[in-house]
Amino acid sequence: MADRFHLAVGDSIALTPAPETAARWYRIEAVYQPRPDPATALRGEFQVRFHLPELARLLGAPDQVDRVAVAVRPGIAPDSAAFRLNQLAFGYHAYPSATIAAESSQTFAVVSRFHRAIGLIAIVASAIFLLCIMLLKVEERRLDAAVMRMIGIGRLTIFKAFVLEATFVAAIGSALGVGLAWVAGSITNLVYQRRFETTLVFSYLTPGIIEVGIGLSLGLGVLVGALAAGRLVRTRPLALWRRTG
Amino acid sequence: MTWPLVLRSLLRHPIRTVLVVLGIAVAAALLLDMVMLSGGMERSFSRMLLSRGFQIRLSPKGTLPFDTEATIPGITPLLGRLHQDPDIAAAGPVVAASLHARVRDTLITFVGYGIDPAGQGLYEVRRGTDLAPGDTTGLLISEPVIERTGWVIGDTIALLGRLDPGSARAGAERRLAIRGVVRWLYDARGQRSLGMSFRVAQQLGRFPDRDVASMVMVKVKDDAAVDRVAARIGTMHRSIEVNSVATLVRHFRSRLVYFQQLSLILATISLVVGVLLVGTILTITVSERAGEFAVLRAIGLRQARIVALVMAEGALLTVIGTALGTGLGLATARYLDRILTSFPGLPAAISFFVPAPDATARAAAVILIAGIGAAAYPAWLAARSPIAATLRADAE
Repeated sequence: MADRFHLAVGDSIALTPAPETAARWYRIEAVYQPRPDPATALRGEFQVRFHLPELARLLGAPDQVDRVAVAVRPGIAPDSAAFRLNQLAFGYHAYPSATIAAESSQTFAVVSRFHRAIGLIAIVASAIFLLCIMLLKVEERRLDAAVMRMIGIGRLTIFKAFVLEATFVAAIGSALGVGLAWVAGSITNLVYQRRFETTLVFSYLTPGIIEVGIGLSLGLGVLVGALAAGRLVRTRPLALWRRTG
Repeated sequence: MTWPLVLRSLLRHPIRTVLVVLGIAVAAALLLDMVMLSGGMERSFSRMLLSRGFQIRLSPKGTLPFDTEATIPGITPLLGRLHQDPDIAAAGPVVAASLHARVRDTLITFVGYGIDPAGQGLYEVRRGTDLAPGDTTGLLISEPVIERTGWVIGDTIALLGRLDPGSARAGAERRLAIRGVVRWLYDARGQRSLGMSFRVAQQLGRFPDRDVASMVMVKVKDDAAVDRVAARIGTMHRSIEVNSVATLVRHFRSRLVYFQQLSLILATISLVVGVLLVGTILTITVSERAGEFAVLRAIGLRQARIVALVMAEGALLTVIGTALGTGLGLATARYLDRILTSFPGLPAAISFFVPAPDATARAAAVILIAGIGAAAYPAWLAARSPIAATLRADAE
């Protein structure tokens, strides 16, 4: 707000709760950085802070508040304190902070579920892509497989060799994928932090996500490599030789 | 001769062909979903706002309708001026208040809407009757209210307003008879809302002595005149925020910019995946069939026919994949929409994924063009390979 309206400490500003009501003049005592809050960051709202009685006077609603924060004594369970408070009066409802946190994070829980669903589609698409590539890659080795079988190398050895090769390719792909994810995450954070003028982190690449990503790509790569290699070693060497011709 | 050859070529490697078609189907489904997401929110929001034909909303300065608890002052003279405007067909004020009623031993809180039945754009009557103009004893309820309270048409309800937090003593009380059951167009799922005469809600609300409204909905006679009328109201009433539906959609879009950017990024990725899949598979297939293409050229087939053959393969794979992907995309869109519409407080009428024939056709055309385009490189490879050298290499 200070940047947008070129305000500084010591400046006076006129504030009014509604356009038709008389404005009151206030002097800016400090410029503060609002705590990054995902619930409000994207709205781009301007915020000012008053002493409570001052704001109540400005709004013409003395002795009224929107909410009250209560700290319970050590050893007192917030749930039981909230229950007791709710027995005292009708006009408010007391919630433990954990309940409010769970309720207010509903929006992000929905976004998170959406991301997981999109992630699942992306995994299916990449699995099919990987399957195609590995299938072609192993099939390219038909001649090698035929020659190896003809000179007496066992099926299991050939199978292991191809699976090892698939594992190696999947490992390199996974490492590249992690690097790509880091770059994409950094760009996402940079763009959105500038766009919404916040220090919130929009994209986290956590060890857990890296583990899932590597696990999936390695697992899929090895599985698909094994399927394709199994198909190759089951085929007779002469048939393989003919198909390469 | 082209299509039988193309079919035989694809059927030669059935597993490979099935995988490519599946890959294209998933890419096409994701692309379709993202196209629906990018324009769907706006279409759905615009459709919801225009569902009763009111094209302009007036709200307190600096706010959007029902964004804050701020109110528009001096509502009676404002309505008088709006009703005199020859371009305006109807102007309906709305005031919202937090109301309470006792159901058995429990005090239940409701959202109360004060409306003018002669110019309201907030609800549709489902059962019973609407409030008549001037009816100050009638009440409208919705299905979520019935589910919670068990009230029926004809019941008389004591509504409490301005409840004192400590004593639970009401600052105002009115007994209203239920006239009908309505569907509130902008309510969130499960929201318990009541409708009553504008003046009754004013008296039950926070400021009974002030002539205020939360919002005014304006219906303009001619759709083409909406912007002009909105500008005129804005000039005449500078202390009021005047928004046409188009402006509100722009505000809505700016708040949901994340989903639009996400849809753009994912649509691009799905296109790239589709192109890579078709391009890679056809390139490998072409290199495997180099000898076959050399023979075809040796017996007189022109380069253009070879190009057409390979591109037809790409087109066929893409067409089948896109057809499958369209069905898959519509199914996944329903699933994704169920997730996103569970946002707390979102109006039940909003959808994120709205199937539109033009968007579907556009997405299908884009992936089809991309798929055929992806076949261009392998087609060029197939057509330019030297006949003699390829045949010799193939024979060796």
